[in-house]
Amino acid sequence: MEPLTWTGSLGSILVPAIVITAGAFLTGLILQLIMGLFAPEVKLQANADGTLQGRGGLLGRLENYTGHLFLLFVLLCAAFIVLSWFMPYGDAGIMGEISKRFLPVWISLIITFTLSIKFKRSLGLYGKLFDSTIGMIGFALVMFWVFTAIFVGLFDMIATHDPLSQISGIKNKTPGFPVPEGQDEGFFPHYLLGGDNLARDIFSRMVEGSVIVMVIAPLATVFAFMVGITLGLPAGYYGGRLDTILSFLANLILAFPVILLFYLLVTPEIVATGLPNFLAAFLFVFPLVFFGVLINSRFKTQPSKNMLYLAIVLIPLAWLYMSTISAKGSPLFIWPNFLDGFDIPGGILVVFVSVVFVNSPTVYRIVRGLTLDIKTRDYVAAAQTRGEGTWYIMLWEILPNARGPLIVDFCLRIGYTTILLGTLGFFGLGLPPESPDWGSTINEGRKLLLIYAHPALPPAIALLSMVLGLNLLADGLREESLKD
Amino acid sequence: MENDNYDGPILEIDKLSISFFTRLREIPAVMDFSAKIMPGEALGVVGESGCGKSTVALGVMQDLGVNGRIVGGSIKFKGQDLNKMTQEELRDIRGSQIAMIYQEPMASLNPAMRIGKQLMEVPMIHEGVSEKEAYDRALEVVTDVKLPDPKRMLESFPHQLSGGQQQRIVIAMALMSKPSLLILDEPTTALDVTVEAAVVELVKDLGKKYGTSMLFISHNLGLVLETCDRICVMYSGEAVERGSIEDVFDKMQHPYTQALFRSIPLPGADKNARPLIAIPGNFPLPHERPEGCNFGPRCDYFEDGLCNENKAIPMYPVDGMERHETRCLKFQEIDWNAPIEVGAQTEKPEPGRVVLKMDNLKKYYEVAASALFGGKNKKVVKANETLSFEARESETLAIVGESGCGKSTFAKVLMGLETATDGQILLDNKNIEGTSIEDRDTQTVADVQMVFQNPFDTLNPSMTVGRQIIRALEIFQIGNNDEDRRKRMLELLDLVKLPRAFADRMPRQLSGGQKQRVGIARAFAGDARIVVADEPVSALDVSVQAAVTDLLMEIQREHKTTLLFISHDLSIVRYLSDRVMVMYLGHVVELGTTDQVFAPPYHPYTEALLSAVPIADTSIKKKHIVLDGDIPSAMNPPSGCPFQTRCRWKDKAGASLCESEVPPVRVLADGHQVKCHLDDADFAAMEPVIETPVAAE
Ligand SMILES: Nc1ncnc2c1ncn2[C@@H]1O[C@H](COP(=O)(O)OP(=O)(O)OP(=O)(O)O)[C@@H](O)[C@H]1O
Ligand code: SF4
Ligand code: SF4
Ligand SMILES: [Mg+2]
Repeated sequence: MEPLTWTGSLGSILVPAIVITAGAFLTGLILQLIMGLFAPEVKLQANADGTLQGRGGLLGRLENYTGHLFLLFVLLCAAFIVLSWFMPYGDAGIMGEISKRFLPVWISLIITFTLSIKFKRSLGLYGKLFDSTIGMIGFALVMFWVFTAIFVGLFDMIATHDPLSQISGIKNKTPGFPVPEGQDEGFFPHYLLGGDNLARDIFSRMVEGSVIVMVIAPLATVFAFMVGITLGLPAGYYGGRLDTILSFLANLILAFPVILLFYLLVTPEIVATGLPNFLAAFLFVFPLVFFGVLINSRFKTQPSKNMLYLAIVLIPLAWLYMSTISAKGSPLFIWPNFLDGFDIPGGILVVFVSVVFVNSPTVYRIVRGLTLDIKTRDYVAAAQTRGEGTWYIMLWEILPNARGPLIVDFCLRIGYTTILLGTLGFFGLGLPPESPDWGSTINEGRKLLLIYAHPALPPAIALLSMVLGLNLLADGLREESLKD
Repeated sequence: MENDNYDGPILEIDKLSISFFTRLREIPAVMDFSAKIMPGEALGVVGESGCGKSTVALGVMQDLGVNGRIVGGSIKFKGQDLNKMTQEELRDIRGSQIAMIYQEPMASLNPAMRIGKQLMEVPMIHEGVSEKEAYDRALEVVTDVKLPDPKRMLESFPHQLSGGQQQRIVIAMALMSKPSLLILDEPTTALDVTVEAAVVELVKDLGKKYGTSMLFISHNLGLVLETCDRICVMYSGEAVERGSIEDVFDKMQHPYTQALFRSIPLPGADKNARPLIAIPGNFPLPHERPEGCNFGPRCDYFEDGLCNENKAIPMYPVDGMERHETRCLKFQEIDWNAPIEVGAQTEKPEPGRVVLKMDNLKKYYEVAASALFGGKNKKVVKANETLSFEARESETLAIVGESGCGKSTFAKVLMGLETATDGQILLDNKNIEGTSIEDRDTQTVADVQMVFQNPFDTLNPSMTVGRQIIRALEIFQIGNNDEDRRKRMLELLDLVKLPRAFADRMPRQLSGGQKQRVGIARAFAGDARIVVADEPVSALDVSVQAAVTDLLMEIQREHKTTLLFISHDLSIVRYLSDRVMVMYLGHVVELGTTDQVFAPPYHPYTEALLSAVPIADTSIKKKHIVLDGDIPSAMNPPSGCPFQTRCRWKDKAGASLCESEVPPVRVLADGHQVKCHLDDADFAAMEPVIETPVAAE
């Protein structure tokens, strides 16, 4: 088999066209910026027919042109992707093949966007997101990786090879390298993005990595939020000494050098004392407390319902909790083995502990501030005057009304956590070394970066696009939630 | 562009239309609005919230934000069209010839800059005068706005001043550039009644002194009567009636103006004999306006086929009156002198047994004198000082006073959110002053409930209306299962006259008045016997106020509820209460039946309060008593009589006595008590503040 070129036969026409449009668009944009500095300000003036007069003149025309150029650029890129679907294997080059592998993701994205835009008026804040270009771009980037993770993780699609298997002869080979003759039985014929220094397929490792990132980052962030919320609400609501102590602790943790903490958590002597396990046992109890209090405060007045709901939610949670913290060999081996559903590898436990540790103080502060503000509202006073319990007031009267800023922060924080996962992997902490998650693969590629750049780039670009997407999404959400 | 010898109209607005563009639709906020202000004239614009008053002001300032546009008409300032000016020219005019004063004083002040500096900046930037001259002028205007110790004022930061003083500074700042036009957008809404009266007086005097024209925006007809020469009534984006104050107040030519006057409690209205007539229905949202006349659906004189014809209605000049116009098709046919149809009269219910008794109730707060080193220097704030009164079944007791007088503290202690420092509260002869709400049994909690002031805050925005009422039922242990409670919830919605479909709505889909009704339904969920209403209607529009008040009265009659009505609005208090308690700085200064409190002899504070309330009736004569200064802080109350710093009777009673000793409670007549050192002769010599013409109607 021949190696693949980057763009295949499409390259000769489409790629120059894309480059030229992009160039023209950028020049236009720069010109526009420069001219904007000297242009007279616009005076909004209604015309007789009720239309509004826009900016005229050279600058006005330029604004139009750059707008059109941008559209053209997007169209050309889309054409590239779509055309490649209909070409026989190999013709569309590496880019075309990759775009083909992502076909299920493209289809899901198109369906999601058409449906959402169609019904955006009845979808609340989510629907408003589709009024903001920034928000839409962010959402598309994030959903791209979410769908990738779903299709890879659940349906075993997209990836071309096993992320761990090695094929001899492709060690450190460049993108588009064909699987050698005789070994290609049942294999995808090319390593689309080349091979790493253990001769594993980089493309497959990148998409497999998305699964790990997509599972751990949001979950760990959820834990951080639970801890932050369960502590921030009472601190803001009661104030006084409780607030002083908790805020002091939060500041203390924020001031603590995080890297040192990570190293401490994995030092064998410390692990031997069981400290990470105890910390995990402490942190993982928060969701139980949170949901228990949430349900109890709401249904206290109807004991039978209360019992039922508490049982439905708390029994599985308690089982999860015990299974999580109890493992053979750990000092907390307190749960009979036949009940122990699963063991969490020590590395992941460390990841969770560190993510919660790093993020919950900030969440705590946000929640505390919002609580301070919302507790002065009349509906909180109304709840007090009808004798509601304090937890009901905090969880059902205050928390739902603090959700806007919290959702935005949640998006941003998943981004931080993804980077943190990378950082941890980079230090060789957390996940096992062969794990295909983005942080670890970047770290591995770094070692030979000067000779072979290609193994480190794809996971880096993936991480970048995902974090960028989350930030844009958060920006879009914030902007749109402020509008009427 | 200076044209000092210009003598035409200062401001001429012609067929102005302003729209806001949102993502859903265009919202026409102002349509076909015309007005003319001559030099030295004051024009009042009144209307309900959302009718476009502030938009007009912002339009004149050409400051409509990103999505507001002028879509038609012209605004001429001294003959020049403001629409056609560049930002540069506008900035110049805004700084030097048009000044605007907003509702919230702090919005116009820079918190990090000394007052003097902020004032001096105005002429230094716009006219390039020297620092010395600017300082002299600043000193002059600060003296003009009657602030004490002007030199020290210039040295202070905004947060060191009280709300009333801040508003005076804002006015001073507006005057620094000697503007030809002053726009005031609800300048006194954030202030207390007595402070408001003083600021209004000041604005009036300054207008005369400087010859400034004014555009005065307010929702309060009484205030406009006191300050303006001409008035323009707006409804749903349009001016509906325009004319001189006397013409519009006494010879109104538009059904909306008429309905407005009938729905506000003027002296003479009485909840049993002459109830208010609420305007039916709701204010239409800008995009839901009806065809033809906007007021059509709520108008008593509506004529099918004429009033709802899809045709814009112009302003018709009224014959025989100068510059008096109305936007009504039938104004010539309507008999404007027809007597008011008196609404359903009701029997005054007899007050029953005593349900609530307060005896020498005291509530002190301990506050750390300095935030940083708390614990050492504790200061005591006396929020409530020896409160004693009784309230009976089916009785309305009004509690009147300005901010900081301890009304809310009293409500908190009664509800059990705070415990009393001393004294007793007896609910059905059971002591509850020491039991906080967690320790009260469900029945006690359900018996004493509260209606809150701010309709936009009273409901949880993330829960449906039905769910919130059901929650109250759950917590009061009413109903055996969910169906029971749902049924009861729907009945409660019926009780407050809301459609049952509202159960599944979110609070943001309701208007202010509707939210307030839900708040009332929630308070009555457990069949409350005592309801504390903390300014329940003060944040509502006039036309809605009457309906909500009536609703409260009706429920009270049916349920024999004891209503504790907290308010600073004496007109509404006079209308609906049986007895009145006047508070000042934590003290009850006067207590008596409504008639006793509203007629001499008064406590000196009550007298000032009565004089401060603007009344929208041209035939009423009021004595002018303007109080100096502001309400002292409760952290640092004056010695002796709490009112001594502002009292005009102090010398009669003996200044040293008033300054050193807290006056005793004096019983003037049966059930009428006053806390004052004045002797009986002085009390007897007091004259009424409000004089109603004898031959009224
Ligand atoms: N928790 C508290 N700690 C210290 N001082 C307080 C506290 N609550 C109220 N005060 C003080 O008690 C006095 C009375 O306050 P209160 O809130 O009862 O006044 P109010 O008449 O209801 O005012 P408004 O009309 O503005 O609501 C004020 O000076 C206030 O500063
Ligand atoms: S035009 Fe008709 S509906 Fe409108 S105010 Fe006049 S009488 Fe009423
Ligand atoms: S006691 Fe003196 S200061 Fe106080 S109200 Fe009476 S006259 Fe005025
Ligand atoms: Mg209050």
